[in-house]
Amino acid sequence: MIAAAPPAVPEAPGALQDPGSFRDPSGFIFRRDDTIYRQVNRSFAREWDDLVGSGLLHSLQAKGILIRHETAPLGAALRPDLAHAMIRPEKLDFVSYPYEWSFGQLRDAALVTLEAQTVAAAAGFTLRDATAYNVQFQRGRPVLIDTLSFERAEPGAAWLAYRQFCEHFLAPLALMARRDVRCGLMLREFVDGIPLDLAATLLPGRTKLNPGLLSHIHLHARAQTRYADRAEAGAAAVSRRTMTPLRQRALIDSLRRTVEGLRWESSGTEWADYADNTSYGEAAALRKDDLARQFLRDAGGERVWDLGANTGRFSRIAADIGRRVVAWDIDPAATERHYRRIRADGTTTILPLVLDLANPSPGLGWANAERGSLEDRADADVVLALALVHHLAISRNVPLERLADFFAALAPGLIVEFVPKDDPMVRRLLATREDVFPEYTIEAFRAALGRRFEIVAEAPIEGSSRSLLRLQRRS
Amino acid sequence: MLSLIAYIDPGSGSLIIQAVIATALAVPFFLREQIARLVRGLRRGKPDDRAS
Repeated sequence: MIAAAPPAVPEAPGALQDPGSFRDPSGFIFRRDDTIYRQVNRSFAREWDDLVGSGLLHSLQAKGILIRHETAPLGAALRPDLAHAMIRPEKLDFVSYPYEWSFGQLRDAALVTLEAQTVAAAAGFTLRDATAYNVQFQRGRPVLIDTLSFERAEPGAAWLAYRQFCEHFLAPLALMARRDVRCGLMLREFVDGIPLDLAATLLPGRTKLNPGLLSHIHLHARAQTRYADRAEAGAAAVSRRTMTPLRQRALIDSLRRTVEGLRWESSGTEWADYADNTSYGEAAALRKDDLARQFLRDAGGERVWDLGANTGRFSRIAADIGRRVVAWDIDPAATERHYRRIRADGTTTILPLVLDLANPSPGLGWANAERGSLEDRADADVVLALALVHHLAISRNVPLERLADFFAALAPGLIVEFVPKDDPMVRRLLATREDVFPEYTIEAFRAALGRRFEIVAEAPIEGSSRSLLRLQRRS
Repeated sequence: MLSLIAYIDPGSGSLIIQAVIATALAVPFFLREQIARLVRGLRRGKPDDRAS
């Protein structure tokens, strides 16, 4: 989870400050061995004691809005010279980023942020920031992870996090819903949220007819431009204290209704993969389910990465036998459908995410280390790669040896499906192009994998020409 | 007085526009809040309602 960037400040040995946790002077996350801590700095001492004493944290945690924590010994602080208090937040199943989320995941993350602000405001507090990186998915649901994000509300004060909320949440959601769902990937480039003037330009003109989008995106963008060089005007506005509690509530309510009003439905791209899995008949599909289940059982381990998971057919099989699954797919529609199903079923052990395996999440942000790359976060015991290799090898022209290297970098265990050239799906991939893949055979596949893995088991999927292999990485 | 631990830039335009938007929304929001409260109160008052 934490990329090993060299520390810029003196630290106790054996511990490392999270490269993504350094902007907020009130405290930071660090890891010692396998435990995550959050140090509360002296500069935030008064606010922290006030916050703890108010009962707000308990209230947010009871509602499932804020991650739970326990107090930790002050002596364990990473920077004892700065520390006022120490807490040990619940460890996250997996760290993911907003550019890896489907529309519904980003939407739910936005709503939990607004819920936090609503609960805080009712208790006389307010959120100091509203960054999408303060939300993570835990047991399938979005939760706020920055316990220090709250401070006492000053009467009449404006919401300082309003700009950040609009750029991190509202702008990308509006672009995904009203322009194209692939706009979510823009968050990979704009790590501090999408600039509102850009969002305003890209959104269809019709969005100006939506009162929420007109206010919070279009007019907001114009106000930003107009007052860009006029900080005194902003400071003056704040000092006038015009944001009464009623106006505060009205603002948050408007943001909530605007987010809820954004809907996105897929155009059916996820069903292409369903065909991919059942083009050879229902009996063979069930045989594949059984084989996958057996191989997953045999492979053991706790954590499974399902690559090319689509709507999670095999993720569910892994979860049913007690595995924790991170399910990756290039299609935002498939991930969305998978996520909706997980929320509806109350599944807590699967996290679906969007990813192009041929262009996976790189290290981003400051020093390319603030947001970990895919490999930085690879902690799986087993990689499940079903109905995948032919897409990468043929559609994306990735040589089989490089695929083997990629799988080997992710996990020690591998369960992979080989789909040969005579399979209807591969014939379809080759239909409009020259067959430049003489090396795409089961023998070459075994040889390519054999460089990095030992083949432990192999079985044909009866009723098709496909086969499933279970492998263990060579040491 | 801006918060001492407001570490992010709130943005001048953002501070100004939210006051404008919130002021415009305040009355309709207040009315909606009151109507919702009324409706909840009426529902609770129905004889076949269990005590909350």
